Amino acid sequence: MIEFINVTKHYPGRHHVLREVNLHLHKGEMALLTGPSGAGKSTLLKLLLRLEDVSRGTLMVNGIDVSTLGRRHIPAYRRRIGVVFQDHKLLMDRDVFSNVALTLQVGGLTGRQIQSRVRAALEKVGLGDRAQDLPAVLSGGEQQRVGIARAIVHTPEILLADEPTGNLDNSLSTEILDLFRDFHHHGATVLVATHDQSQVNRLGLPVFHLEQGRLHTPEEDKA
Amino acid sequence: MNLHIRLEAAKNALNTLIKQPVATLMTVLALAIVLALPVGLFAALNNLQQLLGHWRDQAQISLFLHQGASAAEVQNLQALLERSTGVVSVRYVGKEAALTEFEHHAGMTAAIQTLGENPLPASFVVELNPLAQSPSALQTLVASWGQQPGVASAQSDLRWVARLQAILALGKRAVWILAGLLAVGAILVMGNTIRLHISQRRDEIDVASLVGATRAFIRRPFLYQGLFQGAVAGMIAWIIVAITVTVLQGPVERLAELYGTRFHLLGLNSGQGLILVAASALLGWLGSRLAVGRHLDHTFS
Repeated sequence: MIEFINVTKHYPGRHHVLREVNLHLHKGEMALLTGPSGAGKSTLLKLLLRLEDVSRGTLMVNGIDVSTLGRRHIPAYRRRIGVVFQDHKLLMDRDVFSNVALTLQVGGLTGRQIQSRVRAALEKVGLGDRAQDLPAVLSGGEQQRVGIARAIVHTPEILLADEPTGNLDNSLSTEILDLFRDFHHHGATVLVATHDQSQVNRLGLPVFHLEQGRLHTPEEDKA
Repeated sequence: MNLHIRLEAAKNALNTLIKQPVATLMTVLALAIVLALPVGLFAALNNLQQLLGHWRDQAQISLFLHQGASAAEVQNLQALLERSTGVVSVRYVGKEAALTEFEHHAGMTAAIQTLGENPLPASFVVELNPLAQSPSALQTLVASWGQQPGVASAQSDLRWVARLQAILALGKRAVWILAGLLAVGAILVMGNTIRLHISQRRDEIDVASLVGATRAFIRRPFLYQGLFQGAVAGMIAWIIVAITVTVLQGPVERLAELYGTRFHLLGLNSGQGLILVAASALLGWLGSRLAVGRHLDHTFS
């Protein structure tokens, strides 16, 4: 479960990026996070990944108080999360297999375990035959699928995605978001930040809308 | 910690070094030269000590005996001298032998004959290793011999021993200071090299951190890089010193022959060489640790 309780984030000398955010996403749920550029979507995900510290309030993830989590415990916490970025963040000098394997190497798995899990993850995202290719020879959609394979290869409890379809056309966006939905069907909690309104309408998932750092919940929208 | 993770990090480090052979070679050679200088000076000091050991007969003490010293006193004194620290040899020179030696060296046969009887006392000639004890300890030792029953006087000149030991102590201290400075230099060279490697792999570090890599996981390949480069640099420094000793061997032997002695230059023995390699690997590791630690403080802050 992801729970933001009156979470505020501000940077010294700058305006508040997030104000008194309250968000509840139950275990195994999938939701979309929408809002215009600069609304605070990426910051909210960064707080979840503990790339940024909460300025005020409490952030709980599966019973862990992320807002007060000690630095020593952050790597282990991050290994329970999968994350996909708009710019993929792939290592361009390493092949597809090595990019995906990094998550498992960090987790301390052996070579044999890594082999089988990476193959399975690549099959899942439809890149089973591209393991030896360098990212540079892949299309944008394929690169994003490598990013997704890297995010799901360790079967995380939570999957986060920051504008994963930002650079893709509509049909590729549909493919990518369907991959997230597949993963959600296997029990993961999924939160996807997107500004693609057509996909929001198509998926029919709960939507958290951020506007100038304030969150509008699905309940508020219903009201 | 699983062994396979360490092996993977070591493999990763080796691959990185092999992929950039020129940069790796330049770093290793720079480190090797930095290390070879103090190690070469240590070897030179060792050779100097060895050379001085050859001149130990210059630290000679003469103990002149009373004319009436008894045979027991002479025997006891000889036993005492032979078991004293730093004594290389003890030679008894009887009255007759002293006279013969005196006549032979001084050519004063006629003058001695006019005295009618042999005026020279019996003596012990003691050869000391000048480096076995401190000058003050040697002084004390010789003074105590002078107090022994049957000894009339002790004659020695240990000032040169004090000077020699002071020069060697100065040399050692200077080499240690130089070695310390160059060790800092080696750490900085390695730190700078690793800093460049870190900046080349910044994306990888950032992604690894995002997917939950610990500081240790990120740091390990860089530490191995420093360790490997340091160890190889130590081996090359060892080779440089060995080649230098080999090249100087001939001229040194010819010079020694001109002084009527034989001298063989010593390089590093295998124990010293292994210490050099280990110390060099440690310096490489330390340099890496400093560089990567600073970077990770920034990444994880």
